[in-house]
Amino acid sequence: MKKNFYWKLAWSGIRKNKQLYTPYILTCLGMVMMFYIMSFLTYSAVLQSMPGGTTMQGILSLGTWVIGIFALIFLFYTNSFLIRRRKKEFGLYNILGMGKWNLGRVLLWENLMIAVIALVGGLGAGILFSKLAELGMVNILQSEVSFSLSLRPRSIVLTLEVFAVIFALLFLNALRQIHLTNPIDLLRSENTGEKPPKANWLLALAGAVLLGGAYYLAVTIEDPVSAMVWFFVAVIMVILATYLLFIAGSVAICRLLQKNKNYYYKTNHFVSISSMVYRMKRNGAGLASICILCTMVLVMLSSTTCLYAGAEDTLRTRYPRNINLDVTTNELQMLDQTQGMRQAAQQAAQDQNQQMQNVLDYRVAAMATYLEDGRIVGEDGTQEGIGMSAYANLWQVFVVSLEDYNRLMGQNETLAPGECLIYSTKAEYQWDTVTFGDGEPMTVKKVVSDFADNGVEVSQVTPFLYVFVSDFEGDLAPLQALTDSDGNQLLEYHWFYGFDLDCDDETQMLIQDQLQVALNNLEIDQGETAYLHVLCEGAATERAGFYGLYGGLFFLGILLGVVFIFAAVLMMYYKQLSEGYEDQSRFEIMQKVGMTKREIRRSINSQVLTVFFLPLLLAGVHLAFAFPMIYKMLLLFGLNNQRLLILVTVGSYLIFALFYVVVYRVTSRAYYNIVSGAREEH
Amino acid sequence: MSILEVNGLQKIYTTRLGGNQVQALRNVTFRVEEGEYVAIMGESGSGKTTLLNILAALDKPTAGTVILDGQDLARVKESERAAFRRDNLGFVFQDFNLLDTFTLEDNIYLPLVLAGKHHTEMRRRLTPIATQLGITDLLKKYPYEVSGGQKQRVAVARALITNPKLVLADEPTGALDSKATDELLDLFGRINANRQTILMVTHSVKAASHAGRVLFIKDGEVYHQIYRGNSTNEQLYQKISDTLTMLATGGERK
Repeated sequence: MKKNFYWKLAWSGIRKNKQLYTPYILTCLGMVMMFYIMSFLTYSAVLQSMPGGTTMQGILSLGTWVIGIFALIFLFYTNSFLIRRRKKEFGLYNILGMGKWNLGRVLLWENLMIAVIALVGGLGAGILFSKLAELGMVNILQSEVSFSLSLRPRSIVLTLEVFAVIFALLFLNALRQIHLTNPIDLLRSENTGEKPPKANWLLALAGAVLLGGAYYLAVTIEDPVSAMVWFFVAVIMVILATYLLFIAGSVAICRLLQKNKNYYYKTNHFVSISSMVYRMKRNGAGLASICILCTMVLVMLSSTTCLYAGAEDTLRTRYPRNINLDVTTNELQMLDQTQGMRQAAQQAAQDQNQQMQNVLDYRVAAMATYLEDGRIVGEDGTQEGIGMSAYANLWQVFVVSLEDYNRLMGQNETLAPGECLIYSTKAEYQWDTVTFGDGEPMTVKKVVSDFADNGVEVSQVTPFLYVFVSDFEGDLAPLQALTDSDGNQLLEYHWFYGFDLDCDDETQMLIQDQLQVALNNLEIDQGETAYLHVLCEGAATERAGFYGLYGGLFFLGILLGVVFIFAAVLMMYYKQLSEGYEDQSRFEIMQKVGMTKREIRRSINSQVLTVFFLPLLLAGVHLAFAFPMIYKMLLLFGLNNQRLLILVTVGSYLIFALFYVVVYRVTSRAYYNIVSGAREEH
Repeated sequence: MSILEVNGLQKIYTTRLGGNQVQALRNVTFRVEEGEYVAIMGESGSGKTTLLNILAALDKPTAGTVILDGQDLARVKESERAAFRRDNLGFVFQDFNLLDTFTLEDNIYLPLVLAGKHHTEMRRRLTPIATQLGITDLLKKYPYEVSGGQKQRVAVARALITNPKLVLADEPTGALDSKATDELLDLFGRINANRQTILMVTHSVKAASHAGRVLFIKDGEVYHQIYRGNSTNEQLYQKISDTLTMLATGGERK
């Protein structure tokens, strides 16, 4: 009987606060579902057996824990709203003679009920949707599909364990809150007088300056390596600036507007501005969080989508031909012995009745080096320390003969002695001459705009400098003299050889395998003393791994995107709801003083609109300024397709905005009901 | 000329469940002349609040009419009610009803801002009122920073600043201590001396004893009324007390 009493009290507590508890329970349910799906996919045998599947599962297992941690933080956040709203009720119970121990039991029952609903519902939905997610993944990996529903006890147990801990923590937190307050405070907790917020001009200014600085950084950074490093600096600056602007900046702006009497004392502005000051003070941090969440979602969605959509492009840049050879040696003469490899390739293709097409064939002298005023100095130079500046001056230099350049690019350039052509990627070459070691400076006759791909360039983050010279062997002499501290020669010679095949992936793999065997034999023939390294890569073999990686990122981007959108939306909802309760009495007074319902509605709308769309707007601005940086970082991944990125970014923003508008409509209705509810009860 | 005419006012509430009917006002008829200071007394549940809500055009009577300065309240369109209230009536409430997000000055300006007045005009109107009410030094403060008596004086300033035809006061001393009550009642007396019509609903004998006339409501009807005549506040206080005793002990009506 007595146990029943607590149970009933808890249940009616949940039911009477439907408006608060339904979204909360749904959130719990959604989090459980997402966690289970992630965990399910991480251990899915179907995925594991697929090419690229293991890569993807590695990424997903990371995602599982991201969701777990996020669930903890987020549920704590939403739970605090619930506790705040219900303190009054608990205070009443307390005064009516229920001890804190009894209240604890009510809370325990409530939490148990929610946990059971969330776990049962979430796991049920998770099991249902996990197959769908699996199919999606298989599709992303471009593989065959099997249609059988399966569940994974291990994932179920893991989900139960993780969320049991989370719910236990939530319960303890609620208990702590109840214990810390005395009944009078519990009753009154919602009506404590609030000081009018003071505008903190210093912080507002700091926010504006930080944001300006971050934007300036984002727009002005040229090379991708610096972009990678500075991106995180910029992100931290933007996060700080967003918080400062929302918390201090917004209040400062409202105060400024209040000082302008002609603007302030207008029916439309009077009520809105003066309540906005309080609203922003209370919600600045929350709104800033929402803004940052939105930006995160958008950046993640647009970049992962772009990577996935551009995977084929990237694959082609990384593996310029269907089959690629990269032969590395430290003696130029060794490259003369590559004839055997050419024949082996020819043979391998012929054995499968295939013709080599679009053959790529050229030599390169390569060296990783510092540049000092256009002089290639090798690895020591006079650089002090390994700071950012030293790193920015580290270049990969590729020397190519003019003959090869003209042949590959279909050009007919000529060079006088002491002249060269250059081509640089990922950074601008700033000097007029190029000097090889202690040799004479060569005048840069022309900076050309393109050169053949080699697959090495995209896999490295350093800027590349191609130098095209007329006398390949002769001009290299000063570079051959450069050594590292152990006296080893720094210069390496590469022979890039690649060809396309007009056949399916399986045949390409067969040819590659055969070629590999032949190459291994050739390598052994060279003997032990010679340094000759042969790398044979096929686009077909690598494709699966590629899709595993990019597809995994894409999938993760979408799943996390959904979770974060969920989170942002719920934060908005609770914010509006709790404000609705606070504004209720205020609007009642306004009506008594002579404000029409229409005026009240208009004032509400303008405030809700501002609060709602300010984060989205600022997120859009953040995204626009982040764009150049994202673009440069994707360059590092070998993706060079600005149009695609713009399209995807704008697309993600629009889809996101659509979600947002829908939520706005639902939320503002709930808010208006609360605000006007008090009056209609009379 | 009467500024307010209330004729045969009746209000019946129907409870939501069971359809029980509750008659809050049975038949209320009275007039208020311009410049009068009228107090309406009655116990809880006598229909005071209902009457005030109807006078404020917040609620509609089931039968009967309310005519304010020649204008029938029932004829005022729903969409114009708020503006009508704002322009013709001033309100003073028991719990002040000041907005905590505004400074006291802005609280007073609220009805004028809603009426679309220019801020120099507002300032011009406020200055004499603030001086009269002794709140000039408080104007830049926020409601949470001042005492209950001060809050109520600000609320009075807000009610007066639109130059209303009628000030409706609902239990204005209900939340004040005795000193603040005395001050506020003095204030009402002075405002009334400036020909401002005041209608006050109260069950405080002390508050009512400052009025020029006291109406007693019982069970939804005007049961009795007392004119001040030449009585002092103390004498009127005594008369009111006697009447209330008579009412409470069930004496037959006139």
